[in-house]
Amino acid sequence: MSLLSVRGLDKRFGGVHAVRDLSFDVHPQTIKALIGPNGAGKSTVFNLLTGFERPDAGSATFEGIDLTGRPPHETVRMGLARTFQESRLFDTMTVEENVLVGMHLRLSASFGLAAIRSPRVRREEREAREEAAHVMRLVGIDRYRDTRASDLPHGVRRLVELARALATRPRLLMLDEPAAGLDGRETADLGEVLLRVRDAGTAILVVEHDMGLVMGISDEVVVVDQGRKIAEGPPLIIQKDPAVLEAYLGEVSDGA
Amino acid sequence: MSTADLLQFVASGLQNGAIYALMALGFTLVFASTGVINFAQGEFFMLGGMLVAAEVAAGVPLGLAVAGAVAATAAVGALIERFALRPARASGALTLIIITIGCSMLLKSAARHLFGPDERAVPAFSEGEPVAVAGAMVQRQVLWVVGLTLLAAVALTVLYRWTKLGLAMRACSVSHDAARIVGIDTARVVMASFALAGALGALAGAVVAPVTQTAYDVGARMGLKGFAAAVLGGLGDPVGAIVGGVVLGLLESGAVAFVSGTYKDAVALVVLLLVLVLRPQGIVGRHLGEKL
Amino acid sequence: MTSVQVVAAVAVLAVPFLGADRYLLKVLTFVGVNTLIVLGLALLFGYAGQVSLGHAAFFGIGAYTSAYLSSALGLPWLVAVAAAVGLTACAGWAVAVPGLRLKGHYLAMATLGFNEIMSVAFVEARRFTGGNDGLGGVPFPSIGPYELDTPASLYLLVWGVALVALVGAANIVKSRPGRAMRALHCTEPGASACGIDVSSVKVRAFTLSAALAGLAGSLYAHTVGFISPTTFGLDLSILLVAAVVLGGRESLAGPVVAMAALTLLQYLGALVPGLSRQAAEAVQDWVPDIVGLTVVGVLIARSRGFRLRGRRGVPERGGQG
Repeated sequence: MSLLSVRGLDKRFGGVHAVRDLSFDVHPQTIKALIGPNGAGKSTVFNLLTGFERPDAGSATFEGIDLTGRPPHETVRMGLARTFQESRLFDTMTVEENVLVGMHLRLSASFGLAAIRSPRVRREEREAREEAAHVMRLVGIDRYRDTRASDLPHGVRRLVELARALATRPRLLMLDEPAAGLDGRETADLGEVLLRVRDAGTAILVVEHDMGLVMGISDEVVVVDQGRKIAEGPPLIIQKDPAVLEAYLGEVSDGA
Repeated sequence: MSTADLLQFVASGLQNGAIYALMALGFTLVFASTGVINFAQGEFFMLGGMLVAAEVAAGVPLGLAVAGAVAATAAVGALIERFALRPARASGALTLIIITIGCSMLLKSAARHLFGPDERAVPAFSEGEPVAVAGAMVQRQVLWVVGLTLLAAVALTVLYRWTKLGLAMRACSVSHDAARIVGIDTARVVMASFALAGALGALAGAVVAPVTQTAYDVGARMGLKGFAAAVLGGLGDPVGAIVGGVVLGLLESGAVAFVSGTYKDAVALVVLLLVLVLRPQGIVGRHLGEKL
Repeated sequence: MTSVQVVAAVAVLAVPFLGADRYLLKVLTFVGVNTLIVLGLALLFGYAGQVSLGHAAFFGIGAYTSAYLSSALGLPWLVAVAAAVGLTACAGWAVAVPGLRLKGHYLAMATLGFNEIMSVAFVEARRFTGGNDGLGGVPFPSIGPYELDTPASLYLLVWGVALVALVGAANIVKSRPGRAMRALHCTEPGASACGIDVSSVKVRAFTLSAALAGLAGSLYAHTVGFISPTTFGLDLSILLVAAVVLGGRESLAGPVVAMAALTLLQYLGALVPGLSRQAAEAVQDWVPDIVGLTVVGVLIARSRGFRLRGRRGVPERGGQG
């Protein structure tokens, strides 16, 4: 059974048909890449699945439960976590605090309990910090623990966003161009982390332009062009698909 | 209630509505060109009334006093833009509005230092008994208020549609970047819109002062009512501002006529809250950029 | 709590035993009352980024509720306090639910409008508020036979409550709800992507903040014994926002110190020994000018400072900004 199942998703913005009749599945413990030329509607798919936009038509179910129309925070509760193409870190907070915010739903302290700092709140905070340390180690950012997010180099910011999303303990992790702006070495490290995350039991849906990373880690690839799915399958097959080649080559010649 | 009574309420509604319309125009001009809600707009109103009162007391002829008050307040508006807001242009809208709050504290306090804490009276623009309009006795000053508001609205329309500055202001309301690309000095336009807002506020304050009296602390509440009118008409839309002002004025006097005068001052504020929450784009609901 | 904080708390509570005179104690009690209000606003505005220009109204609702219940209806003090806090919290909630859908400057104007409506109500609802003449004869705080009727005991009561609130607020900001407020202040999409129900956190912060203002109002009414509408007008709301702006984002100590300074400024004449009456009045006369200039100056300076920092950051991001 598939973890995430997208059926006939459709979204228009004014005259732009951003997503057209899109269907695909993500299976447990797999990495699926969503690729396509710029403006193909990939980020819109993310926004539709995580409640930031409402689809005009179609549905998306996660573990059999309908996702459409739910506000973002509820999709997190259901087990989806996402990052953004443009970083949405909490700039005034330290890296550790950013990761702790990711654990929001699993902590219980209300305003009242937090104010009196009850023993339960204390214990909860201590345990949360331990877990945050674990997540930061996994992603390789533990040495930045007390650095303010606004002071971080770009590559580390991407990783903090990843760590923050992981801290929600998702069953599906959705990453929007996680390797953008990373150098070759950082990208390779990121690939390692993602494989480890998958092997620990989390499925991943990733939008990415770095084809080395995509082909290296994905179990399956979906290619979209102008909002429409043009191919789906294992990376090796996708690389030889004529429709895919045309979409990408078309982009290259357009850009030239 | 007789027809004459009804007309009486309409007349007083139109008078207040005209004042709110002028204030709303002030808010709207600044908002359209900067995206900032100018908290000091109410103090422009206060300055208009207080300056006229002070000038008249010093022996300046009334007409000249009004013109002087309007010009001086326009200058104050331009100065606020140049020395308080422009240096902080890089910050968000909320910071800028708090700066205008600081400015309004300063203006209010300055007025108290200069003119004292007491209420001031201003003579009516023309002497004489109330005139009969369609069976209702209307004070002459009401005609001045409505007439001068219409004049201001016509002048603004001419400025907006047929002058270079007006074109530049419209361009800035759509996009500052685009305006700059076609060679518009956006800083000058913003300054001009603050000066105009000052002039409009002062005109409102000067022309209504003979009816209501004036004091250094009348700005805040009038500012809120003018803002309510601007929001009612759709912030950023000059036509909406005038419609919003008149509607608000009529609503207020309607509430006095049919409900009670006790909470007259709360009417505009309740309208403000309702519109903000239910229909933030206003009742007229067009936006400047799309319309022109 | 750090040792510095403990020492500061002890020092604050020791003031009445150090021979401070009655007038000074009264002024410092006002400082304590204002500390409570500004604490709530610091949480709401400084941490969660939601402005309120209506906090003087919540302060007033608390004060009038408490005063009316205890003087007109003769209810015990503690009941009056509880009712005042509860009613103010409800009022805060009722303003927050529709109001917090509004962004930045619209929220500012809406809360300001709310404050003006309440100002009208405080004057016009004569049956409950006494109108412009105010409401007098509010009994001192008492539990059973014990009554707090000396300046020193009132000072201790107000500051005791203020310090407890300060500790509570400090606890909040360093745990889950505090992080949620700071997060949504930075980026609402980012916060909701972490599972934070942004509007719910905002409403809670607003309600708590209003409740603190209501508590302050109740303490104020029973401390001074007489309340009138001018105390709860826009001027105080603006002063509170100014204190939070001057005190800085994500700070409790900053706004508290700023508000204390702004409060003391108004009584400066009477507090500095040897200052002549005229000089004292002159200072009081110029308080709004000082506050206005400071707010404008600090904001301009800060926005230029931020811009310099932003510029340094640009090359790193590939200069897309």
